[in-house]
Amino acid sequence: MFAIVGLILGIALGIYLEPTLPVGLQPYLPIAIVAAMDALFGGFRAYLERVFDDRVFVVSFTSNVLIAALIVWVGDQIGVGAQLSTAVVVVLGIRIFTNAAAIRRSLFHA
Amino acid sequence: MNPQLTARRLARPVDESMNLLNDVSRDALDPAYAAASPRRRRWWMVGLAVLVIGLMIGGSVADQLRAAPAEQLEREQLIQRVEQAAAASDAQRERITQLTRANRALSDGALANDPDAAQVQGQIDQLDPVTGMRAVTGPGVVLVADDAQDAQRSGSSVVDIDIRQAVNGLWQAGAEAIAVNGHRLSSRTAIRVAGDAITVDYRSLTRPYRIEAIGDSSALLRAFPSTGGGNWWAYLKQNYGIRYDLSPAGSLQLDADPGLGVRVAQKKA
Repeated sequence: MFAIVGLILGIALGIYLEPTLPVGLQPYLPIAIVAAMDALFGGFRAYLERVFDDRVFVVSFTSNVLIAALIVWVGDQIGVGAQLSTAVVVVLGIRIFTNAAAIRRSLFHA
Repeated sequence: MNPQLTARRLARPVDESMNLLNDVSRDALDPAYAAASPRRRRWWMVGLAVLVIGLMIGGSVADQLRAAPAEQLEREQLIQRVEQAAAASDAQRERITQLTRANRALSDGALANDPDAAQVQGQIDQLDPVTGMRAVTGPGVVLVADDAQDAQRSGSSVVDIDIRQAVNGLWQAGAEAIAVNGHRLSSRTAIRVAGDAITVDYRSLTRPYRIEAIGDSSALLRAFPSTGGGNWWAYLKQNYGIRYDLSPAGSLQLDADPGLGVRVAQKKA
């Protein structure tokens, strides 16, 4: 409950305050958001399966964001930024959908 | 056979090569969650992390919302500039037509007593209507062409080469003067394409395309279908559903081509 309120509060603050990243980091924001969503869905599934641990959540969120941004950045340097970005999005997408399916099963028993 | 090796090989699952997909979906719930002990739930920590995620998402959304009106404004400004440039270009063409008329009057006055000049002027007068230097009126045919009805879906639209084929076909059929959407054709006319729009003399056309040709109506109607252009358009109509319609016209008026002008002049010795 606390987490959901925090998320909505964060989104509202983000829209209102319009925080801007340094220009160099702005292209990596979308991939960071997808990586953060993966950590979020994983956390929610862990909560529903009663194995949630805050340290794992924070570490998974931070490392996901950093590694995803790093992979895309390296890709940009060597010239395959778009392809690596696609690969990262594909893998994160599969994980998000797997977690979402498990959440659906837990919530609706269907 | 080495028994240890055989045992190890048997222990490997059959779908070993599918490991990537299996791992991705099995580890979707981070294994660290199951292994974590003791399990703590310090909600302030979670709240902080979630707040950061929310800020990222909100910031991205705000960025998009902010960029949209700016892009719209930029687009409108570009459209305005294009329209202004087109209006300026039209004004210039008007001025060219006026100046040509004035020049003609001046040259008539200056060469009034010169019989050689009169002969040359006679030749020029004969060639003017044919080359496009002068507006002409007369009977002829009108070819109206348009994209296929489902052009959005099938992409069957008229392109510059189609117009060129039609024009060449009409010349071959015996047309004496041709204009496309009001732009008179001369030997200096370029029918090309810029992006999605067909351009005649670098002026973009909008559909439907109206090609007017002055000449003997019945002869043109009879001869056009068997020319290369006529065959091309019959093929387009049949296979791509491009709409085209060739009909006689009692009286057509084609303006002069303002793009023609004197390029080389020499002072008479």
